[in-house]
This record gives sequence, structure tokens and C-alpha cells, in this order.
Amino acid sequence: MTRQKRSHHRLKRAVAPYLYLSPSLLIIGLLMLLPMVTVIAYSFQNSAVLRRDPSFAGLKHYQAIFADPVFWASLWHTLYFTCMSVVFHMTIGMVFALMLNSDRINPTLRNILRVLYILPWLFTAVIIAVIWRLLLEPNGVVNSVLMQMGIIGSKVEWFSSPETALHAVTFANIWAGYPLFMVSLLAGLQGIPKDFYEAADIDGAKAYQKLIFITIPQLMPIIISISLLDFIWTMQVFPLIWITTGGGPIYSTEVLSTYTYKLAFSSYNLSQASASAVVILLISLGLTLFYIRYQKAR
Amino acid sequence: MAEVILENICKTYGNNFRAIDQLNLSVEDGEFLILVGPSGCGKSTALRMIAGLEDITSGSLRIGGVDVVDMPPKDRDIAMVFQSYALYPHMTVSENIAFSMRLAGKPKAERKKRVDEIAKTLQLTSLLDSKPANLSGGQRQRVAMGRAMVREPAAFLMDEPLSNLDAKLRVQMRAEITSLQKQLGVTTIYVTHDQIEAMTMGDRVAVLKGGVLQQVDTPKRLYESPVNAFVAGFIGSPSMNLFEATLKGGELVFRDFAIRLQDAAFAGRPGLRSYEGRKIVFGIRPEDLYDSSLESGRKYQTIPAKVTSIEELGSEHIVHLNIDAVRVDSGDPDAVDDFGLASNAVARFEPVSAVHSGSEIRLALDDAKFHFFDPETHLAI
Repeated sequence: MTRQKRSHHRLKRAVAPYLYLSPSLLIIGLLMLLPMVTVIAYSFQNSAVLRRDPSFAGLKHYQAIFADPVFWASLWHTLYFTCMSVVFHMTIGMVFALMLNSDRINPTLRNILRVLYILPWLFTAVIIAVIWRLLLEPNGVVNSVLMQMGIIGSKVEWFSSPETALHAVTFANIWAGYPLFMVSLLAGLQGIPKDFYEAADIDGAKAYQKLIFITIPQLMPIIISISLLDFIWTMQVFPLIWITTGGGPIYSTEVLSTYTYKLAFSSYNLSQASASAVVILLISLGLTLFYIRYQKAR
Repeated sequence: MAEVILENICKTYGNNFRAIDQLNLSVEDGEFLILVGPSGCGKSTALRMIAGLEDITSGSLRIGGVDVVDMPPKDRDIAMVFQSYALYPHMTVSENIAFSMRLAGKPKAERKKRVDEIAKTLQLTSLLDSKPANLSGGQRQRVAMGRAMVREPAAFLMDEPLSNLDAKLRVQMRAEITSLQKQLGVTTIYVTHDQIEAMTMGDRVAVLKGGVLQQVDTPKRLYESPVNAFVAGFIGSPSMNLFEATLKGGELVFRDFAIRLQDAAFAGRPGLRSYEGRKIVFGIRPEDLYDSSLESGRKYQTIPAKVTSIEELGSEHIVHLNIDAVRVDSGDPDAVDDFGLASNAVARFEPVSAVHSGSEIRLALDDAKFHFFDPETHLAI
């Protein structure tokens, strides 16, 4: 091989990986990076999108949204909605995974339960929202059952009352989201060597001690990974809240995503909406960096 | 410390598969008993039944005089070392060792004192804060031992604890476990499929096959006087050579040659004469076969053989041979690979032997070391 041929070959080898990566990089660049950068740019412009030559606004829109009490209410609702969802997703997912992994439950029943428990995962957000709107209607099944059981005295307007609306949407979201935890934890449980439990049996461990000293520490990597992902995803939930309550009544279920949407498409204040979107982006980015660092540390 | 007594222990699974059939074993206080057998013989099942990890279908099991059949594992006063060691990866060495004390609610100071004592015995002191993932195979093995020792149990149960180690380390750990057992004096039941471990470690060895106990004896007696062809083939490496022969006029007649039997062979085995004119299984160990061209082999009678291949191990030569006789299978499922394609016998020659692959030789047989088995029952004659 001549020197020229050899250097040509070397160049081809060096360039090849980037050629393979280029289609995906192009798509990500066009569909994700470009809009992201554009939104950031909008947040610093006056009358973004609406005017052909928007002027530079500095941090004006950020100051405006930070001065808006609805923004702070939305942030608080988002945190409540997200934290409650993640905690209960994990708790319910863990309980169901432990049940499905238990030898004490008949294998046929276990298979039936496995299908039943995973059902919420099969529905899209729109269907879940519709199901829960029907169930939680003042004349719906939930009210009727609770009244018959004597738990409530009169019909509760779950989605229409400011006191209950946020809890109701959170509840619906918990119901919709636990299967991810259940499936992940079940896979994790099945990967824990049986020897660990047998050794613990011989050492005299009770069931709760096996859970605390073996099961949970063994599942910890999954619990942390899925919790972080769930946190990132739940923070951005939009359709469920939009369809059930639309952020109301009186902003009581307003979350950052609905707040941003309304700024953009109800008030047509796209610049402020962009500033709000950037805030969501920064929070998500922080969590994502935390997640990546955790994954690297493992 | 206690004796462990198994009486008519049976284990039958749901599909009517009988894993253990009428197992009777008595392990003395402080004894080191090895349960050995080929894969699937039920040895691990037997151990797990003693530990309480498998139900006992029928029979009685007493540890230290107490019937433990219906007791959960934790009440049986035993400790077990698993093949995988079952060390908790999220706990340090110290936490792993102290785990049972922690479960029992023992105070921290007491736990630390006990862990330190054990770590000193097992030379783990410098590793107490390490996680199992950072330990070598041998160190993990010692931690598993430590976890068993911390409970000061009546009996140790060990399930193939050395099978995950490399060959060199296995030799070292074999010696360590044996001396530790002697030092602690705790009754120990040790399961292995490795007959070298069985021969070198135990006070007595119980050989199992297909869930049935074949023989319990000292390693020396198992080697010298196996009760049947299976034990003869299983104990010893390479395995005993077993051939079909006919006893005719005081001679063992093979296809194309015969071996004259000394009077001593008949004197020690009164039943042997009754096989006159009948088929018999003849057995001889590789170490009782000699190269007739060497001094060591000159005094014995010889038979013709062809060398098919040689493994030169330095201290000895393992010589694979073909002799004109029909080989008999001892019934050990794990031993089929002992013989090469063209060979049906193995001999262990001194390294000075000059035989080479393909050569026709005269093979000398030590006639004081012959073994005879019934061709039907495979029982020793």
C-alpha cells in the first residue's frame, strides 16, 4: 500500500463513525436543539413570533413571571403533583411487584394480577383523563360508593372544587403511572439471587428484615434511576391536567406546563411563555444532569 | 456442637421424582463428613434438607438430639456456606459477618468484638471495611466462612464452597477449611462433586448416586475397598479401569489374553470361586499399572497394550491405552470423558517411562491391587 492510499484509508476510518451518527444528530438538531435555542431566544425578545423585528427585552419577561403569583402557585402545584406522584408510584409499584414476585400467591392468580396491574399503562393520557372525569363526576361511581359506605355525606365535586382538584388530578396520575415502577422493580426482584434470602433465613431474618436489609438495598439502583426519570417526566405532564381541569378551578391545579400553555395560546404572550418554558427546561436539566451523574457513578 | 442423624430421609417432588431415597447417615459430634457424588445425585438436596431450605418428605432428622424436621432454618442451630457465598454486595465485610448478630439485636460493641475475633482467625482484619466486590475469590470464601462462624452453630453445612475458585486457590482453601474445622471442632457436612476434595478433607465420605447412599467410609477405605463399581469408578482420579472378563481355571480370560490370579486373590474373597466359568468385572486403578520396561514393573505379569496418547504432567505421565478387552461403565455420568476416543484404559506411569504415543507395550499389573465386581449388581466381590 502506498503512503497516499494508507492515509486515505486512515481518514476513511476516522470519518466513518461520524457518518453513521450524522442522521440521528441531524434529526436531534432539527427537532430538539433548534426549537430549544429558539425558545430561549424568544424569552429575551419583546413580542416574539408576533412581530417580524422583535426588540431585545433583557430579563423583563423573567421578572414578569417571577412577579406573577400564578407562576409561584403553578410551581408549588407542580412540585406537589410531582413529588406525590413519584412517592406513590414507587410505593404502589413496590407493593405490587412484591406481591407478583411472591411464591405464596398461586401462579395462575399471579398471571391474572400481572395483566390487571399493568392495565393503566396501556391507556393514553386522554383516555385516563376521560375515565377519571367520568368516575369522579358529582354523579359518578366514586361519589356513589363513598356515600353508600358513609365516608362522605354529600356529593363532592372532585375536579371542580379548589380544595380537592389538585388531589384528584394527582390521584389520577398516580393510578396511571405506577406500572412503570412495578415492572422495573419486578424485573429487579427477579434478579436478586435466591441465595441471599436463604442465607438470611438461616441467619434468622424475619420478612420485614429481609425487605429492609436485602430487597430494598438490592433494588436501590432501580429505585433511584426510575424515580429520577419519573420526576422529570411527571414535571412536564400536560394532557392529563389539561383535559381533567384545564388548570382550574381558580388556578388550583395550574402547573408549569398549563401555565406556559395558557400564556402562549390564550394570552398570546409568547415571550413570557418562552421565559416560563425556559424555567421548566432549567429544572428538568438540573434533574437530568443529576441522573446522568448518578448513572456515571455506578 | 452436635451430632447430626438422618434416618430414612426421603425427598419426593411434585412430579413423583424421588431426589433422595431412604438416606441414613450419622455424623458424629465434631466430625467432618463429605457428601460426594456426580451431578444430580441429590447431595445438595440432602444438605438443603438438613438446613431446612427444602422440606423433608419423610424420615427423621435430629441435630444435637433434637428433632428438627418441622423447625425453620433459623432454629436448627446450623450455619451454611453457599456455593455462591451469598455475600450481600451492599454490605461491608464486617457487616456481612455481623449480619446474624444484627438480626438477633446484639449490641454494637459485642458485634464488633466478635467480628474482630473472627477476622483475626481468618486474616480478614484489613478487609473489614471493603465491599465483597473488591475482594478476591479466596477472600470472599473466607468472609462466607466468617459469616458462618459468627453464629457458633452446632453444625456447619457447606455447599460446594470451593467450586468457584481457580485450581491453585482451591488447593490452598482446601487446607485452610480443613485446619479451621479441626481447630473449631464443629460438626461439618460438606457437599462436593470433586472427589479430590472428598478424599483430602473429610474424616469420612458418603458417596451418593441417584439419591441413594452407596457407601460411607474413611477416604482410605473408600479407595481401597469400594463396595461397588460406581464407588470404585468415582473415587480416584483418573478413574479405576473396569473390564469385562471370564473367570476360567484360576485365570481371568479377556478377548485375546489372560491374567493368572494368585491364591491370595481367592483367599481374601471367598465369593470369587463361585464365579468360575462366569463373567466378572475386573478393576484396576491407573496407579497399579506399570511400564514393564522399568524396574517398578518387572516383578508383575504383563498384558499387551497400545499407547494412544500421553499427558506429561512432570511428576507423572497419564498414559491412555487401548487393550483388547471390553470396558465396563461404572455408572458415573460425569466420568465419560476420562477415556480418549481410541483408548479404553488409563495408566499412571513414572516420568522416566519412555513410552510414546502409538507404541505397543507390555503393561504390568500389580496383582495385589485387583478389584472384582459382580457383572449384574456391580457389587464388590
